[in-house]
Amino acid sequence: MKRNPASRDALFAAIVLILLLAIPILHRSPAFEDFIIRLSAMALFATSLNLLVGTTGMVSFGHGMFYGFGAYAFGLTMQLTELSLPVAALFAVALTTIAALVVGAICVRLSTDYFAFITLAVQMLFFSVIVSWQSLTGGDQGLRGGIPRRHIFGFDLGSQLHLYQFCAIVAVLGLLALRHVSMSPFGNTLRMIRDNAERASFVGIVLWRARLLAFTIAGGFAGMGGVLAALFVSGAYPELADWPNSGQAIFAVMLGGINSFLGPVLGAMILLALNDLVQRFTEYHGLVLGVVILAFALGLRRGVLDFIHLVWSKRAR
Amino acid sequence: MSGPVTRRTLLAGGTATLVAAPWVARAQANTLRIGMQSILSGPIALLGTSSRNSLLIEQDRINAAGGFLGRQIEFVFRDSKGQPQEAARVARELVNTAGCELLVDAEASSASFAVQEVMRDLNVACIHTNSETSSLTADPKIRVPTAFRVARQGVHDAVAGSLYLADFANAKKINKWATCSPDYAYGRDTTAQYLQFFKKFKPDVEVVTEAWPKLGQPDFTEVITKLIQAKPQALFTLLYAGDLSAFVNQGNVYALFGQMTVATPNVDYPVLAAIKNLPAGIQSATRYLETFPDTPANKEWGQAYFKRWNERPTNWSWQNSVAMHFYEAAIKKANSLDGKVIAAALTGLKINSPFGADGTITMRDDHTTIGYAIGWGQTIPKDPFITDIKPADWGKIIELETEWKKQQNYS
Amino acid sequence: MDFNALGACFTTPACVVTQATSGLIVGMLLFLVAAGLTLIFGVLKIVNFAHGTFYMLGGYVAYSAYAATDSYALAVLAGAVAMALFGVLFERVLMSRVYGSNVLMQLLVCYAVVLIFDDIVKIVWGPEFRAMGMPAAFQVPPLFIAGGVVPPFYAVLIGIAALIAIVLSLGLSRTRLGKTVRAAAVNPQMVSALGVNTTVLFAIVFAIGGGLAGLAGALAGPVRSLSPGMGFSILIEGFIVTVIGGMGSIAGAMVAALVIGLVRGFGTIGFPGFTDGLIYIVMIGILVLRPQGLFGRPL
Repeated sequence: MKRNPASRDALFAAIVLILLLAIPILHRSPAFEDFIIRLSAMALFATSLNLLVGTTGMVSFGHGMFYGFGAYAFGLTMQLTELSLPVAALFAVALTTIAALVVGAICVRLSTDYFAFITLAVQMLFFSVIVSWQSLTGGDQGLRGGIPRRHIFGFDLGSQLHLYQFCAIVAVLGLLALRHVSMSPFGNTLRMIRDNAERASFVGIVLWRARLLAFTIAGGFAGMGGVLAALFVSGAYPELADWPNSGQAIFAVMLGGINSFLGPVLGAMILLALNDLVQRFTEYHGLVLGVVILAFALGLRRGVLDFIHLVWSKRAR
Repeated sequence: MSGPVTRRTLLAGGTATLVAAPWVARAQANTLRIGMQSILSGPIALLGTSSRNSLLIEQDRINAAGGFLGRQIEFVFRDSKGQPQEAARVARELVNTAGCELLVDAEASSASFAVQEVMRDLNVACIHTNSETSSLTADPKIRVPTAFRVARQGVHDAVAGSLYLADFANAKKINKWATCSPDYAYGRDTTAQYLQFFKKFKPDVEVVTEAWPKLGQPDFTEVITKLIQAKPQALFTLLYAGDLSAFVNQGNVYALFGQMTVATPNVDYPVLAAIKNLPAGIQSATRYLETFPDTPANKEWGQAYFKRWNERPTNWSWQNSVAMHFYEAAIKKANSLDGKVIAAALTGLKINSPFGADGTITMRDDHTTIGYAIGWGQTIPKDPFITDIKPADWGKIIELETEWKKQQNYS
Repeated sequence: MDFNALGACFTTPACVVTQATSGLIVGMLLFLVAAGLTLIFGVLKIVNFAHGTFYMLGGYVAYSAYAATDSYALAVLAGAVAMALFGVLFERVLMSRVYGSNVLMQLLVCYAVVLIFDDIVKIVWGPEFRAMGMPAAFQVPPLFIAGGVVPPFYAVLIGIAALIAIVLSLGLSRTRLGKTVRAAAVNPQMVSALGVNTTVLFAIVFAIGGGLAGLAGALAGPVRSLSPGMGFSILIEGFIVTVIGGMGSIAGAMVAALVIGLVRGFGTIGFPGFTDGLIYIVMIGILVLRPQGLFGRPL
């Protein structure tokens, strides 16, 4: 009895979405809802990065620039135009995808290490442009005045519940779309490039085109995460596009597991939970986080989900 | 082969239980939790730590006197590291998870705007204690009904400082000035404000060059040499804390302070003490000084702070102290902790304060404080570090502030 | 953009001397940091993302040593030696476990170290900034050369850094250890097969690299402020220099560091406020046109 993998994924996504939407009906917990909202943004961000890192073998240090770009594009669109929220969001994602295409065109031809460096350099340049272009972006203060609160079909930005629902839906659908890309023939192409680029090109794959497409898609989905982040803080700040934020996505991917699709989501969950929890008990959160990361990196030597899969598959034998 | 769905659901279930634990609602104790967020690490940590020190003193004092509405108060401190999105998250967490019923936002300018947006949606009273950027309360688009500012304001300092410096410059015939301020919103906006008023009081002032180092930049050498070569007679700088210390040390190497008078509104007590070779004769504002206002109450407060924390209070310390005094008075008057009710009580409230120019400080209708002591004098290398202090004229400050607000189209 | 000011400066000898010297100072300290970074990458193929922490700890150790002994020379020595030892520990205990791994795993380990030590520094020395203060010997008025200003302290700093650069490059080219290090950079397996203890060798490389960063932090003590987390901006700068100069090349690090220093020195006159952006554009340009950097070998 073979199940179609795509419908299996869709079923899983539907179950998760129903669960998420059901929880507030049973029990309201603002803290949990805040967590899910932030997780939505970060999960999209980290999973999109893994399309590059885990699936294609492209290490990008600058992925945060698309996250930030999405946030600013969305914030500015909402402030400067009368477009409704979903349209503005789509528009922001579209703009980010184009930006990713442009940046990718410059970067993808470079080999691995240099690719990492140049993505970092472009991100840092983008960051300094945001900070310098005060008249448009508000500079280091970020976009002030917030995201205008418009009511669309009864969706009220001021309501945490609506925000939660919106983010849950966007995140699940977005992740499902990324899953689809990853499991598609194109995804297989990317994995082939990751494992042996030379062989892939012998088989007739145009390496730079595949990489550019992967980079563009990943950038677009990072932008989607940025839109959710902008909604959470009701604005856009340069820190969303700064290098340490790229680092957060990288850590989420590494902690969760680069070989598992849901690895980055788990990694994001761990990072966010650690960030929140540790703060309540000690102000030396860096110390605690650092020790935890070392335990993962040196102890497990791989992401949590990868580790679990490894252990499980060993037992299965 | 066990289906991936089973594995995944197991994992999801396990993780969910793990992370759900902290959100299980806690039994509501009778303590009144007050959230405080600030920069507690990094180069400007002094801002947060000196605020926290002051709040802890207030906590003890208020609890000894019976607390707020009969409930003992307890501060919940969070470090946002000065990052706006972290500040927003922390603000929501303090209210939503930690159960705080009042907020003291001790963030610096950039993060305070992020917190302000969060406050728009929550009905909790919030006092910003360290943000000096005027638009936080002056701009009606940014103002929030339950948020107030108990802190000095950039525009007030700009008027007071410019008046003093114009007098000083006219007396010493110093017309050529240079500026060196950190390249971010506070540095740019405040420098612009100072220059605007300065030119008004002394039209023949000439700005020969401007330098804009990055906040937290370790090396100011190229900026210092650029300034020296422009040969100004005086330098106006908004650098503070570690940056100011590095600037002074690096400037000393180039004998900068021998070549031009320096004016800065930002030298805090601990910085004055920490800078090893502080040049004399720097024209400086009194951020906090035990000897200004020269009253027993002020001296007593300063010495009590020093006794408890073994360091001197900063500007941020007194601002947070006054914030708690405002909360105390407003809550007594309102007899409630509801955001809107406290807001009504705070608006227009006048309280006695050792830091008031005339012994009182008032919370104006536009949610910001006036009447606090502002003075300018010059530095000496030992206690009390600033002498010859001239108090500012509040009448003039208000007059020019009103004009400035009209100019910016703030109602 | 202020091209008038820039032009005026280029035509005034005093301005050229002063800004060039200030660029030189910035560049020299950058070189010390970058030299360690590029050495470690050249031999071990590891980007030491914790390099900024070495700089920071070197500065703090020197601060305490100076407070205890009142001797700048001892303080600098303490900083450098302490960081050399720390480098060995760091390599043996942590980095050696991730040699074969994904570069991101190495990044993760380095980042964890940065987090941990930023907090340790906060615990030991406190969260507020610290300043070493200028040693009495250097509290003298600046020299005037061709109308330009040159402080004696910086002249000494430049001298020390230049000396180290010479010792380093001579050491790498003339001594046996140096030749072994260079050989290991090209072909570690061969070097190991020839009987060289690569474990010790790698530890030595980290000792030198870490020591250089610590030395830079200690040397800069009298003029810069110390605070937890200060290593990050130093790391980014050092990273940019190594990329532009070429990973693995000491000469490249020197040239790139000086270029960056001079770009800052004159950029602050011509492009105040966008000097950083300028440097990133240069970095992108190099990566597009000559990815291995000015003096690097293609990977």
